[in-house]
Amino acid sequence: MRELEARRVSFSRQGRGLILADISFKLPAGKKLAILGANGAGKTTLLSLLGGRLSPDTGGVALDGENVGTIAPRSLARKIAFLPQIERLPFNYRVLEFVLMGRAPHIAPLSLPGAPDEAIARSALAELGLAALEALRAGEISGGEFQLVRMARCLAQEAELLLLDEPTSLLDPANAQRVARELAALASKGKTIVFATHDIALARSLADLILVLGNHGALRLGPPAEVLMPDCLGQAFGVEFGMEKVPTAYSGLS
Amino acid sequence: MKPTLALKVSFVAALVATFLLYLFAGRYPRPGFTNPASLFSDETARRIFFSIRLPRALGAILLGAVLGGSGAAFQTIFGNPLVDAGFLGVSQGAAFGAAAALVAGSLPIVKAMLPAFAINAFVSFASFVMALAALGASLALSKRFKFGGQVLRLILAGLAVSAFFSSLLAAVKYVADPLSQLPDIVFWTMGSLTAMGWQRFWTIAPVSLFSLGFLFLMRWRATLLSLDDEVSRSMGLRPEIERAAIAVIAATGVAAVTAACGIVSWIGLVVPQVARIYAGSDGRNSIPLSMAGGAIFALAADGIARTLFPGELPLGIVTALLGAIAFAILLASRSTEMAR
Repeated sequence: MRELEARRVSFSRQGRGLILADISFKLPAGKKLAILGANGAGKTTLLSLLGGRLSPDTGGVALDGENVGTIAPRSLARKIAFLPQIERLPFNYRVLEFVLMGRAPHIAPLSLPGAPDEAIARSALAELGLAALEALRAGEISGGEFQLVRMARCLAQEAELLLLDEPTSLLDPANAQRVARELAALASKGKTIVFATHDIALARSLADLILVLGNHGALRLGPPAEVLMPDCLGQAFGVEFGMEKVPTAYSGLS
Repeated sequence: MKPTLALKVSFVAALVATFLLYLFAGRYPRPGFTNPASLFSDETARRIFFSIRLPRALGAILLGAVLGGSGAAFQTIFGNPLVDAGFLGVSQGAAFGAAAALVAGSLPIVKAMLPAFAINAFVSFASFVMALAALGASLALSKRFKFGGQVLRLILAGLAVSAFFSSLLAAVKYVADPLSQLPDIVFWTMGSLTAMGWQRFWTIAPVSLFSLGFLFLMRWRATLLSLDDEVSRSMGLRPEIERAAIAVIAATGVAAVTAACGIVSWIGLVVPQVARIYAGSDGRNSIPLSMAGGAIFALAADGIARTLFPGELPLGIVTALLGAIAFAILLASRSTEMAR
């Protein structure tokens, strides 16, 4: 079980100045945190800081009390899996070959994955309902299926904490709902999940906690019902928000 | 998913068959195939077989395996099916080193210092050193560039270094004696296994086998490096360091065989494409099969180069000719391993 804590994290980039200031939160194991904000608000940067791929200027990120910046890369990869918003598929790997790559942190540099690793990759595919795809080439499946296959690769990593950058942004409602349902199921099995999104409906339906990012910092942190208010969202996205009932594909998730 | 047993067996069988055909094909005592019985009765046939054809066949296997394997490794770690070791400046650096040594070797002062038999070794040594110098320059320059990611920086640095050594090669050709030195330089840049005897074979074997062994062990790691850096990093890899290590060791093998055989093009580019069509893109299969396929291709091409006409054809001409035809046929007839 993994508890994630950000303590007064600030980060700036040369030429762009301050990007994030004084971000703090504590996410208990098995919970889902949505990082909500406009394009350029620093969502991906915050995910990189949480995953130890960037170091904060001040403050720190701890996983079960251990500073992520001090954990060796291979060891860290066994604790935290990261799914970028998009990635290039350089060659047309078969689905099982692609998911098997998630076993990398468990395999020494000069070794190959063995039968137990293949079994874990297969069970990750089965967990997401993708067992039938394993022999297909990753370039031949739909965009929604490919997104789930990438998630299966994260699962094969067997990390307790999943960091997901815009996991549904490129998907139609049916595939977005499928991804969201799988994320809810994973959290119910004990995975701690942090996802960045600008999809308010997804954040409301899936997350236990929402962190709304505004200009450089956290505007609000709390459960969806407390956070998703027109004033806060208006400030985050720079447009006026009203309250209306609209159809959503994510009903009944959390 | 794994290459079936039939695929593995067929590659090994093709390698053994090509090797045997190569050993017995020739022009002694007459054009055609040597009768195996003559190895027991004819001293000259035995000498040609064991002292000339056997080391040359083994040299062709090393050359092809190194070029095919390193080509597959380069294409995998850079996630780009259109690169080979040449793009880091290795070939042009080697060519310049050899050309400069060929010109320097005919200077009176060098002739006085080096015995005649050492001139070939001097050319190979200079070629190897300059190939590594070009590789080092590409890597150092790519670190200085402030544009693009690691892959783009390496490709751009390799382009600049290749162009630099091409111009130096042109300058050496310009000052070379057109009657005595220029033909040697041109012949060297066409690639050949003519001078591959036991001595030269044992000179390149250690570096080549080390490079092949390392690439074989790192074949799955290379596959992981084909993913975007932020993905491979999130899986615990250190992509910049691991990619550079694989590139340097692959290029060192290429530098060794190029120094001994001259520039043999197309094997590193074409053979991995064929291997991927049959074995899939995963380096666990495509890298070893590229090594085997490269060895088969080099044996077949050199077999043609030395037996088709009474005078030998340069190997590089045959590999480029066969490679270009194979490339055109392949791309026109089979789906490739390119992805989204």
